[in-house]
Amino acid sequence: MPPTVNMNALRIIEYDDRSPGDPSTRSTGLSTVKWLRDNLCSSWFNGFLTVLSTGFLLLVFRSLLNFIFSEQRNWAAVKTNLRLLFVHAYPEEQFSRVWVSLGVIVVLAGLSLGLSARFPAIPLRRIGAWFTTSGGLVVLGLVLMQPSQPSAVDGNAAMSERYLWLSAGFILIGLGAVFSSILKQDSRGRVISVAAIPFAFAVLGVLVAGLWLYPWGRFSFVEGEYLQEPASTVAMSTKIPWMVMWLLLVLSWFVGSVLRPTVISRILRLSINVLWLLVPFFLYWVVLRDPAFDWTHVWSVDIPLALSYAIVGCFVLWFLTRPAAGEFERIVAVLLLFYALFNWVSAFFGWHRPELRIFSYFLGSVPGLQNFLDFLDSVPVLQKERLTVLFLALAALLAHYFRGATAQRLRLISGWFGFILVFNYLVTVVNTPSTIETPTDNFIGGFSVTLIVAVFTLLFSFPIGVLMALARTSRMPIFRLLSTWYIETIRGIPLITILFFFSIMVPLFLPDGMDLNEMAAIIVGYSLFSAAYIAENVRGGLQSVRRGQYEASNALGLTTGQRTAFIVLPQALRVSIPPLVGQLIAVFKETSLIAIVGGFDFLRIADNVIPTQSEFVGARREALLFVSVVYWMVAFSISKYSRRLEKQLGVGK
Amino acid sequence: MDDMIICEEVSKWFGDFRALDNITATVKRREVVVVIGPSGSGKSTWIRCINRLESHQKGRIVVDGVELTNDIRNIESIRSEVGMVFQQFNLFPHLTVLENITLAPIWVRKKPRHEAEELARSLLERVDIPEQAEKYPGQLSGGQQQRVAIARALAMTPQVMLFDEPTSALDPEMINEVLHVMKELARSDMTMIVVTHEMGFAREVADRVIFMEDGKIVEVDTPKQFFNNPQEERSQKFLSQIL
Repeated sequence: MPPTVNMNALRIIEYDDRSPGDPSTRSTGLSTVKWLRDNLCSSWFNGFLTVLSTGFLLLVFRSLLNFIFSEQRNWAAVKTNLRLLFVHAYPEEQFSRVWVSLGVIVVLAGLSLGLSARFPAIPLRRIGAWFTTSGGLVVLGLVLMQPSQPSAVDGNAAMSERYLWLSAGFILIGLGAVFSSILKQDSRGRVISVAAIPFAFAVLGVLVAGLWLYPWGRFSFVEGEYLQEPASTVAMSTKIPWMVMWLLLVLSWFVGSVLRPTVISRILRLSINVLWLLVPFFLYWVVLRDPAFDWTHVWSVDIPLALSYAIVGCFVLWFLTRPAAGEFERIVAVLLLFYALFNWVSAFFGWHRPELRIFSYFLGSVPGLQNFLDFLDSVPVLQKERLTVLFLALAALLAHYFRGATAQRLRLISGWFGFILVFNYLVTVVNTPSTIETPTDNFIGGFSVTLIVAVFTLLFSFPIGVLMALARTSRMPIFRLLSTWYIETIRGIPLITILFFFSIMVPLFLPDGMDLNEMAAIIVGYSLFSAAYIAENVRGGLQSVRRGQYEASNALGLTTGQRTAFIVLPQALRVSIPPLVGQLIAVFKETSLIAIVGGFDFLRIADNVIPTQSEFVGARREALLFVSVVYWMVAFSISKYSRRLEKQLGVGK
Repeated sequence: MDDMIICEEVSKWFGDFRALDNITATVKRREVVVVIGPSGSGKSTWIRCINRLESHQKGRIVVDGVELTNDIRNIESIRSEVGMVFQQFNLFPHLTVLENITLAPIWVRKKPRHEAEELARSLLERVDIPEQAEKYPGQLSGGQQQRVAIARALAMTPQVMLFDEPTSALDPEMINEVLHVMKELARSDMTMIVVTHEMGFAREVADRVIFMEDGKIVEVDTPKQFFNNPQEERSQKFLSQIL
């Protein structure tokens, strides 16, 4: 037929008109039809499959909507329990602490975003497509959805709400169309784009502003009763804090991007990365728990102990980094490591300070000394001392790389001093009872506990996993054997068994003076578990590093440690990003298993706690849907970020 | 004594295969030695023994007065005096060109960063690619990568440079730019051992040519003598095959 021929000719001309390399000019008008025909209906069978799967998707969408908007759903169960779901038993009058914690994280995130390299701009056309899609989904949903039974009382209200949604959907579609057709190019044919970060901030800003319109969190659970909060408390507890968070985010991003081109940006980026590592400890132990320091104990024991270990360590490291240091110093470092490990073993046999016995054996005849040694022996060894000695041994092993010039030696020593002070501070904070009184043993729960366990597990298991991977590929048979055994054993045991073992069995075996609180036990067990998997992922990456890389670094005279740190690990980790992200997501989701050993995590509150509240008996499905959406959002953002990271580091290039 | 490298009866086996068979040779300071021979004749193995990427099993190797033994500190100190350029470049793909060059000076030679960067930029100038400093190796051509590799080895201010077939992995049009850099280097009195198939280079630059076959040194001669009037029957055969 002649018209068809004309149409085809027109299409071809249109295609020839466009520059083939420019993606922005593709996929409009007729080419959409062509795209549909080429991709979805290229053959009869293909068209049949398209129709079938479209129908199936529509059906799923419809049933999901009908489930969500059914009259039987009691969404108040989720709305009322938002605080329960996110922080569980944390006392309401102390919520400012949660906000402060969030504020610190938000500021760090804003600074990191501002300091990192420019984000790609989003073409307005794509934003238009998002608008069109979401508007289309709203309209489609309204069309598909089973009309709810208009009851006699509020039938009109239901209808008007429906029209409201319908018009919102059409407005979205209209905006999308304007964006993607009229505003996509400027008068000179250039693609108009929006910077990604300000756009994201604007979206967040709209969401936060929406709090003032839509009554999220107007309910509260206070002393066993569900109250509808008066507007003033809502303002203080939700709207204003979120506004502040948003402002902090935008401001800190602004500060970060102002500082990016300056000289200090490099050092700032480094210090922010260090802060990211320290902040979980600080927020969890200091801000959220608000330790009640016993100042006499702090001044008489904690500070002198920390200082004396730090100073003794400085002398030891100063000695080990002498310019002439050699084999002897290495042996000293290894002996220190053995001593540090022996310190733990000896605790199980009830020996305090075993080395003192040796001293008193040789030096017992010196007057006065014996008394002093006896005094020391009578003081029980603190766990943090054992840890400090272990850290000293590790620093001593590193000392080899810092020997030589005074400036270099001082760098190691000042690093050691600072580390020990921070470490002692954190340990003291952990050991100090909390002033926050909570109704249950677990002082925080819900999503917070999920997040805390996941973050700490990753912080601990990542270095252990990398070390295990290195040990398994090392040339030293003893390390190889130990790490292989470790990995294979852990991988052979279910996570639940490990969690039970650490939360119930291990505390029974610990000698006097060592104890493990429940959360710590879970985190330790979970970290050891996850480390085995991370080790295998990293090992895969290590095997992909080519032999030539080892040879080149050897030929340049790099030591084994330098080679590993600068050449091998960066390349290996880059290759292992995809499996590592998989592990990260798994760790995040499997935190729900801590419910089995008695923790009140996110899922457990949705599954066990909310459905047993007298107002919301049986409202399990709503809560479960909400929880899965939150899990999905976190996991999806992680994988989205990882794809960005992969692109940045050029994986597969 | 101005002998830079002394090898005495060096032998090496891979399993039952004898890769090096009583290699005895000396390389003087500021001398350029070109090693040629058919593939599998042990040329690469020999120069890899000189900085201990492979270990020899018999005989002794002395580099700048230090004998190569199993002592790890000996090996590290020799390696930082001996620069090596590989057939496959072996640049570090995750570091920029500048970082590739400055890494070892900063961490092995303990140079301050700005000094190392200055040195790196002047070396890039010397190998004719000063504008590529901020790029990654994957963005460079083969010839440019090999020149970066040479600059990286030179940044350690080595006493000796070893070249292990530096042009064999290059496209023909890139060979000359690398050879040019190597000739410059030879003229600046660097001690060099070059394993190569580039006979023109050997003829032009070498002080001596060593011909190897089956793990043995067959003939050692000046390039003039070797290419115009080879003494040994096997070198004659080899030259007739390739020329």
